[in-house]
Amino acid sequence: MSITELAEKVGGTIVVDKPGAAIRFAYASDLLSDVMGHCGEESVLVTIQNHLNTIAVCTLDGIEAIVICHDRPVPDDMKAAAEREEVAIVTTSLSQFEASVALASLPPSRK
Amino acid sequence: MAPSEIVSRAASAGMDGIALTDHQSARNTPAMAECARRAGLKCLFGLEVQTAEEVHTLAIFDTPEQALAMTDWVYDALPKRVNDPDTFGDQPVVTADNDIVEMEWRILAMGCRRNIPETSEKTRELGGLYIAAHIDRPNYSVVSGLGAVPEGFFDAIELSRTADETAWLPRSGGLAAVRSSDAHNLEDVARVWTEADISEFSVSALKQAFASRATRLSPRLTSF
Repeated sequence: MSITELAEKVGGTIVVDKPGAAIRFAYASDLLSDVMGHCGEESVLVTIQNHLNTIAVCTLDGIEAIVICHDRPVPDDMKAAAEREEVAIVTTSLSQFEASVALASLPPSRK
Repeated sequence: MAPSEIVSRAASAGMDGIALTDHQSARNTPAMAECARRAGLKCLFGLEVQTAEEVHTLAIFDTPEQALAMTDWVYDALPKRVNDPDTFGDQPVVTADNDIVEMEWRILAMGCRRNIPETSEKTRELGGLYIAAHIDRPNYSVVSGLGAVPEGFFDAIELSRTADETAWLPRSGGLAAVRSSDAHNLEDVARVWTEADISEFSVSALKQAFASRATRLSPRLTSF
């Protein structure tokens, strides 16, 4: 799944794009320690954690994209880190549950 | 930000005492103790424990030894992963003269598996103060993570340098407040502070001041 398709599925806005990204798995969590423990590569992370450390965790674990729920704003430092580290960000008005349902065609990400 | 620089900046700003609380580690507190001793500045020693709830909490002690015992307890519950300096930055352990002794290999940027009740109990067992950090911040605070300050675990709450106390004190769970710089770089050291009439700069004296809500916050800053 491309970032464009991802944004379409969650009815969201692409804040940071990643052309050529191929998302194969999905994971939803708001605890970054849980994300680190369970979310693997080639994944999209559904979360409300709209801050810099989320990008760091994605970088460490090869997570391709983040869907930020409830239209939480993306701070400038988070956006800059995402661009630098090539992690896509999509924001959506959906809740984490609704966004996960919208992405249910993707298999769960595992480590 | 070397301990000697922190001490000299705090002293020149007129602080009577400071506390060092690095994230998940107190390994630089022995160097801080020596720098503070040389400068005649009073210092407390602790760490910012990021709990299993991903909430930032401050465990603060009278001595580096207590803070290091707390650090061992936290380290036992950290994810067993090696820090990536490119992502999270270097984690040097230094001497009072700012020589690097070693680079901490553990990943200190993440939460540990200890929850708030356990961390509160351990802090008290080791003789420390337990403070809910920057409760006004949108991330990593008890309020952002848990909705409110939980009852029975904390000695005080901390407000960040921009927090409006008229808005936040009613959400303190009835606890005394401190305002502190939460300085991540030298320029931010001692920009805000807390005043209290205490006989000595110690955990027990601060506990008493907190119990009687006898703290006064410095003015807040308008931008972070």
